[in-house]
Amino acid sequence: MRPLSFGYVLSRCALLAVLLFLVIVVALKLGAVPVSLYALARDLIRVALHQTSELSSDYRLIIFDIRLPRILLGTFVGASLAVAGASFQALLRNPLADPYILGVSNGAGVGAMAALLLEPHIPFPAALSALFTPVGAFLGALGTIVAVYFLGRRKGQIDSNTLLLGGVITASFLSAIQMFLFNTVMGRDLHGTAFWLMGDLSTTQQPIVSWVVRFGFFVAAAAIYTTASDLNLLLTGEKEAMHLGVDVRRVSLVVYIAASLLTGIAVSVSGAVGYVGLLVPHAMRWIFGSDHRILIPTAAFGGAIAVVIADTVARTVVAPAELPVGAISALVGAPFFIYLLRRRFA
Amino acid sequence: MSSVARSGAFAGRTDVSRSAEVRLSVEQVSYAYSPNPSKAPLFTLEATSFQARAREIVAILGPNASGKSTLLKLIAGSLAPLSGRVLLDGFVTHTLPVRARAQRIAMVQQESVLLFPSRAWEFVLQGRHPYSRTLHFESDDDMTIARNALAQVGAEHLSDRWMDQISGGERQRVILARALAQQPLLLLLDEPTLHLDIGAQVDLLEGLRRLASENRYTVVIVTHELNLVADYADQVALMQRGRCLRVGTPAAVYQRELLEQVFQAQLSVELGASGRPRVTVLSQTQ
Amino acid sequence: MLRAQSATPTRAVPARFREVVDETGRTVRVPQPVLRIVSLAPSLTETIYALGIQDRLAGDTDFCDYPPDALKKPKVGGGLNPSLEEIVALHPDLVLAAKAFNRLDTVLALQTLHIPAYATDPHTVDQIVSSTRHLADILGVPDAGASLTADLEHRLADLQERLAKSAPRRVLFVVWDEPLISIGKDTFIADALRHAGATSIVDSTQGWPQISLEEVVRQQPEFLVFATAHSSGGSVDLEALASRPGWRGLEAVRNRRFAVISEAVNRPAPRIVSAIEDLARQLHPEAFEPPANTSVTWANQSRQAVSEACSCAL
Repeated sequence: MRPLSFGYVLSRCALLAVLLFLVIVVALKLGAVPVSLYALARDLIRVALHQTSELSSDYRLIIFDIRLPRILLGTFVGASLAVAGASFQALLRNPLADPYILGVSNGAGVGAMAALLLEPHIPFPAALSALFTPVGAFLGALGTIVAVYFLGRRKGQIDSNTLLLGGVITASFLSAIQMFLFNTVMGRDLHGTAFWLMGDLSTTQQPIVSWVVRFGFFVAAAAIYTTASDLNLLLTGEKEAMHLGVDVRRVSLVVYIAASLLTGIAVSVSGAVGYVGLLVPHAMRWIFGSDHRILIPTAAFGGAIAVVIADTVARTVVAPAELPVGAISALVGAPFFIYLLRRRFA
Repeated sequence: MSSVARSGAFAGRTDVSRSAEVRLSVEQVSYAYSPNPSKAPLFTLEATSFQARAREIVAILGPNASGKSTLLKLIAGSLAPLSGRVLLDGFVTHTLPVRARAQRIAMVQQESVLLFPSRAWEFVLQGRHPYSRTLHFESDDDMTIARNALAQVGAEHLSDRWMDQISGGERQRVILARALAQQPLLLLLDEPTLHLDIGAQVDLLEGLRRLASENRYTVVIVTHELNLVADYADQVALMQRGRCLRVGTPAAVYQRELLEQVFQAQLSVELGASGRPRVTVLSQTQ
Repeated sequence: MLRAQSATPTRAVPARFREVVDETGRTVRVPQPVLRIVSLAPSLTETIYALGIQDRLAGDTDFCDYPPDALKKPKVGGGLNPSLEEIVALHPDLVLAAKAFNRLDTVLALQTLHIPAYATDPHTVDQIVSSTRHLADILGVPDAGASLTADLEHRLADLQERLAKSAPRRVLFVVWDEPLISIGKDTFIADALRHAGATSIVDSTQGWPQISLEEVVRQQPEFLVFATAHSSGGSVDLEALASRPGWRGLEAVRNRRFAVISEAVNRPAPRIVSAIEDLARQLHPEAFEPPANTSVTWANQSRQAVSEACSCAL
């Protein structure tokens, strides 16, 4: 009967960090082009010692320009989605909430399609054309965040039930727009958006995009973590939380914005990877309990591990072809979800 | 009671040089609720006043829709009154910052659904939240306070049990323990006896009387249980349709014609040996 | 360790570059000469073989199946989801992409990895021909390109002449039967139909519009056109189609006016001209001498069409 301590949280995170490191190493080794562990270790050391000229150039290209960035992207996307999912489950007091429940991914989808439509018509320097889709998606996500905020207010502040309703309706509306665009205008570019809609980590990102993803994750996750004990109380009810000293208005706003931004950034670079934001928080709750002071950081690690594993499977199981990572997370996620459900209510 | 820092920095502190005995002062507090600003209000609470001291139990008594819960929320500071004010130890309750308010006032409400159940001791530990800083991890002191709170409500044996696996009455006690862990000055309870059987009801009120005395709480209960109030309350505020009809001791307030009018029933009121009245319902009138 | 590619020559000397603009308007720096090519679309693979430079083809997609030799080339994955790692491991000098088959993201990713990618995007048969000529030029075989395109143009002109006196047949090109999907008017397939003396009754700007059977019945096309893969032998079971409700309402179905041509019509490659010729023969037998067997059934027609397509292959 001991309360949660910082040391305990730290030790569990360290364990997960080691697990994540191992998963990354295995992921680096596996791929359409196989690599031996010895060669990998030797070259990682060489990179650390800045002896990069000794590496063969296309080897370097494959490991450090394609595989490693992709794995790191998967790490941050997974962590962002899992933290966002846990936050929305607390904010909306709904165990079925996932990062996309308030329409952010659909808004990003509409934004990405709009960007694809406009791309040929806007004279952009070639270097920036790769930014078109992520920027368009992010703007779409931002627009949705703002719209749902105004829809979700009651007497001037966020009310969780109103927010949920407003978000779900907005999500449906935007999804209908996506389908409309998909079927009428997109035509020849159909293939690209279909992949993106399923969640896909295969496109290499511009350095600035990677920077935004990492920086955005740390800032938003930190903001959410500062409200961790408030979220514990919020789960018992908004009024109860208020009577226990929680500034419900401020906490709701911070968590809503930070979690939505995490989702928006993740979706803008990788499309809507499914099930991670819904299931990883439940799995971590199952293992570590529902105190958000440990749930948030372990969910971040858990999400990173899950997405890196799913992406590694996605790019090796039908090699040399690749599946979208969202297909793997759905295939594994759905049965796991059913299993969790039965455990809870059996 | 452990010391709670109380600086004069909060806006709303008034220089009231009253007798140190009066802790809670409800002064001409009124409220109106109208969903549509241009139309007439749906519900009003007319100006109400009463005072309470440490160790006192005050009951807000009345039938449904008499404004009891609204009055309780005004006392708690979660609603701002239309006019008048509520003073707790000199502070106007609704202008206190949320955290400071939670250190002084603890509310025990109808329990809501527990989404992700926790153990009883974790639940009670939540009562320490008003005293914790951001990213605070509970200290041994907090644990001691939580354990004591559980002991005070006679629920120590439940501390390791899951909240969704104990009975309604046991849950009620744990919720009360959480309120005690807040170490408040004022303990507010909204219809605490609703789902309890008679034995449990008496247990609860006995417990409250004991706690009020030992820990120097001021307790305000909202209820419609005539006889419980008669036996345990030091003061009664009788409400009907948004108006406070009378404030006083049970013996003073329980006048037969008045009670019959408020509760719409034929009653008989007798004075017991202890000086407390006893009410018997004869029949329901229209 | 990494797979070594010893079959095709590798570069030892730093290259010269040539700046070209591809068919999507992007500027591409193509090294000269181009010794190793990776093709990301079946049509481009076919074109490379047609130009006779298949020994420079270092890798292609899982879908590149024509000519059969292409199946033996190292594979880089699908058109939408090729493995960037595989492409890099093949050290291509140039990657060829098709806008209709590949993703912009793939091309941009290759650009980030400093691998030039040239994209084609033909919308008409004439554009297919000129695209072939430009490709030949960029790949350093302008003569082969000139003779190939001259032959294609000659055949197309010949067809034009033969069909000059015949009115175009109104047809429905069936991509898929359930749901009923056809082709839009701006696609190269629609243009191929025109060259074969047919017009598609579907007037849509979408690429692959889904249309209602009712609308088709209202229009009553003269022929239904199907594209078959000659490898699978069977086509859409046309007899079964004929007995389905709704379809029975079409005169073309009742009279068994089906035209079956090879799948080459779906690929913007030189082989499409053979499919066009084949379709023209089926739709306008009277324009060709000696006249085709007048009593032939649709099944015989299709087998004949398929074998002709094979023999016309480059």
